[in-house]
Amino acid sequence: MNTSATIEDKIQSFGRDVFVAIGEERPSTFNKNFWTGKIMEWSMSQPEFKVNMFRLVDVLPSLRSSAAIATHVNEYLSAAAANIHGLVEWGVNLKPDSFRAMLTSALVKKSVEQMAAQFIAGNDPHDALKQLKRLRKTGLAFTADLLGEFSVSEKEARHYVQRYLDALKVFGAEIPSWPEAKPLINGHPGEQTPVCISVKLSALYSQCHYMNFERSVTVLSERLGEIAAEAQRVRALIYVDAEDSANNPIIYETFKRVFSSAQFKDFPYPGIVVQAYAKASAQVLDDMLAFARKRGNPIAVRLVKGAYWDHETILSKQYNWPSPLFSKKESSDAQYELLSRTLIDAGDCVLPAFGSHNVRSLAHACCYAAERGRDASRFELQMLYGMAEPIARAFSSRGFLVRLYVPLGQMLPGMGYLVRRLLENTSNESFLRHTFFDAQQVEELLRAPKMLD
Amino acid sequence: MFKNESFIDFTIAENRARFAAMLLDVQKAIDAKTLEASPMVDGKKCGSGGTIPSLDPSNFDVTLGLVRLASDREAESALESTRSGATAWGNTDFERRAELCKKVGENLRRDRLFLAGLIVREAGKNWREADKDVCEAIDFCDFYAEEMLRLGPVKLTEDVPGEQNSTFYKPRGVCVVIAPWNFPLAIACGMTMAALVAGNAVILKPAEQTSLVADRLARAILDAGIPGNAFAFLPGLGEVIGRMLVLDPRVDMICFTGSKTVGLEIIRSAATVKSGQRSIKRVVAELGGKNGLIVDEDADLDEAVKSIIESAFGYSGQKCSACSRVIVVGDAYEPLLQRLCDATSDIIIGKAADCATFVGPLIDEEAQKRVKSVIAEGEKHSQLAFKGKAPEHGYFVPPTIFRDVDTDSPLWREEIFGPVIACRKATDFNEALALANDSEYALTGGVCSRSPRNIELAKRSFLVGNLYINRSITGALVCRQPFGGFRMSGVGSKAGGHDYLLQFMEPRTVSENTMRRGFAPEA
Repeated sequence: MNTSATIEDKIQSFGRDVFVAIGEERPSTFNKNFWTGKIMEWSMSQPEFKVNMFRLVDVLPSLRSSAAIATHVNEYLSAAAANIHGLVEWGVNLKPDSFRAMLTSALVKKSVEQMAAQFIAGNDPHDALKQLKRLRKTGLAFTADLLGEFSVSEKEARHYVQRYLDALKVFGAEIPSWPEAKPLINGHPGEQTPVCISVKLSALYSQCHYMNFERSVTVLSERLGEIAAEAQRVRALIYVDAEDSANNPIIYETFKRVFSSAQFKDFPYPGIVVQAYAKASAQVLDDMLAFARKRGNPIAVRLVKGAYWDHETILSKQYNWPSPLFSKKESSDAQYELLSRTLIDAGDCVLPAFGSHNVRSLAHACCYAAERGRDASRFELQMLYGMAEPIARAFSSRGFLVRLYVPLGQMLPGMGYLVRRLLENTSNESFLRHTFFDAQQVEELLRAPKMLD
Repeated sequence: MFKNESFIDFTIAENRARFAAMLLDVQKAIDAKTLEASPMVDGKKCGSGGTIPSLDPSNFDVTLGLVRLASDREAESALESTRSGATAWGNTDFERRAELCKKVGENLRRDRLFLAGLIVREAGKNWREADKDVCEAIDFCDFYAEEMLRLGPVKLTEDVPGEQNSTFYKPRGVCVVIAPWNFPLAIACGMTMAALVAGNAVILKPAEQTSLVADRLARAILDAGIPGNAFAFLPGLGEVIGRMLVLDPRVDMICFTGSKTVGLEIIRSAATVKSGQRSIKRVVAELGGKNGLIVDEDADLDEAVKSIIESAFGYSGQKCSACSRVIVVGDAYEPLLQRLCDATSDIIIGKAADCATFVGPLIDEEAQKRVKSVIAEGEKHSQLAFKGKAPEHGYFVPPTIFRDVDTDSPLWREEIFGPVIACRKATDFNEALALANDSEYALTGGVCSRSPRNIELAKRSFLVGNLYINRSITGALVCRQPFGGFRMSGVGSKAGGHDYLLQFMEPRTVSENTMRRGFAPEA
């Protein structure tokens, strides 16, 4: 038996153990006793309901009156109400200006707010502290993301920068003094401080655009610099999120410019994201590793599959452009494993952060790290808040550092995020759906992925 | 399925670099004074009607090249030449005509970067808009060629024993094409190639502002092998050459895109029959628009602001499809207006050749003066919500937004063709629709809404040629979004659509009695 077969055996046995640890536990998203779980169940069994439901969720926070809510509930759901008994509670087919419609509108809004609260930790940094504390208490680290609307103007972009600065101030003043602030794993570079934020760069500059490349990088470097300076002051870590292929070159260039500057050359483990679904992901990772070596101080790389697949694939089709992304989900999974190895093999210039809910992908990373003699203080796992608690706990209880990506913000800007998460969870390709809803066989869930593109 | 020519993917750095390098080539040609436009009559270069310079609208100190104008005599020769060439060209197999039409597209495709660069400089379009202009021109060649192949074969209309009925199309004869400057390649090419592939001889009179671009089109047409007596190119002044061509009795058809005033004048003069005239002149005219975009109370304002800015300020509002009225429902009015004004204050205005430019200059001094005076008048009678700053030394006009605009005011009713928006609040969606429909034009319109019922309502009763929902209202693609309106927005059916070519042809029907002495061949 050759070495790689041995690793594969380890991955299988590791993966089975994780599934045993998860047991019958379900993430709240898939728990049918709650509204969200019911809605997810209906969405997965009735595609038409799914489209209408998610469009309703999307529009809801911008509706200003209960009559408007009642009208939209009718328009979106009256057809579905014939098949789905539970929808009656939502007042489908009531007269929009009736008293009952008013009452049920409040109920609808509350239900969606509850749904959002599963994925969004609070309206603002203060509001989120309670949840963040709870996470740390249960042995999970976090990185906080501020949900924002698209910045159409500089006024909005500057406001967004300010929100990051304010969040850092609040976190810096509160969190380090918690008893829960002490490192979850001693000596782990990601635990040198409990405070960590993730920044959506393109929203920091209203004219961020590939046609305005140079200026975009210049302006974003200034603004990311402001945030990094505040992070330095309060001792916080930063991840710069990846976005779509149009913005990513600007994001990568800005990241490199800021964290190689004299001021931030020593900034500890600045984080960047590599998306395995991109055909160019191996080059992107190589480029980032080369940057880290040149910088002389390590960086963190969050490896993800990528969250803009539908958006980019649709646009490529509309424009007749070759898609920059792999066409098959399984190819991204295979690429993810390839890049996981590159990351682990890259040595100490990088802190690998494996962002995924896929037990197979994570088991692979953990087993390969063990194979290469890298213990749990040399990498971490990252997952989304509210998506896969049982999986997070299963890994965390096995001694790995699990960091949750925790969005916070108001309902209105949060809705886009919520709808994306709901779509992700209910997609036919979703690992979580396969695991917790379709009850796929463990063997199938743990099968080694192949590059199909 | 028809496949549109792909735009350049400017998200890729190498593609931006290639475009920038090509703009340097264009600059070299400008410096070397090699860019020019000349009339082509009977396949020969001429131009004894004097010259005018073609100026860079982004910097009017720069002369891009010289335009030699056609003289009256040359226009006369063009009429004679095409009159005589029309018969042979019309008798050429439609398959052959379609093949040559595709070849014109090939020629444009081969030259597409340079053409886009020239459009940037001469029309003042930004990179992406210029590239789209070229792609649309290529699409017209491919699409109309395919349409001709579909329409060309003789159709047997009824199958009755002893009788054979067939219907087929014949070209109209000589078609004068009067092209606008705002899509200097695409529209000139679309009208010309539709007429040509249908079998008409064509005289193309380009807009004087963009003659250098049109000259490249003329060369692409003749280089493809379309006979010199089937196509004449006559750069010249509209009031002189254009008028002469329109009035001439040897002309069978006029295809025009431009202002309502000129369009109506063409229609009026085309109706006057002169001695020696063989046919009632057919006029196809794409005229203006006063296009409204409705923002519903429940709209996604991020998307609405983006759509409005793209639709109203893209190419400085100089598209017939551009948005010039925004109607906002209920409580969305103030937040939308606030965000729109803020967003407008930050958009990038500059020379068209600068990669980052979103809003470039207007086409010429006359346009600049006219739009500036519209704004000045507006400031007297309506409430200014926002007025930006514009660079000097080019024909720039600042993007401007008016609010609570009176429905009787010129700002609300007349086409401006510049970066100016008139906004108004409606109490509900029905009122918004009524406001949008209250216009003499009916070209494009848009709705940003998340109400399925209101979207359905708009589809039914927002009366425009091209309605766009939850997106920008410009940028129609050949075949995917056939383009054109009704009411005062023009006569004739949609460009880039399946009915377009029919306007350039006359259907003929032949009915033959095949029964002789009581016998007929079996059908």
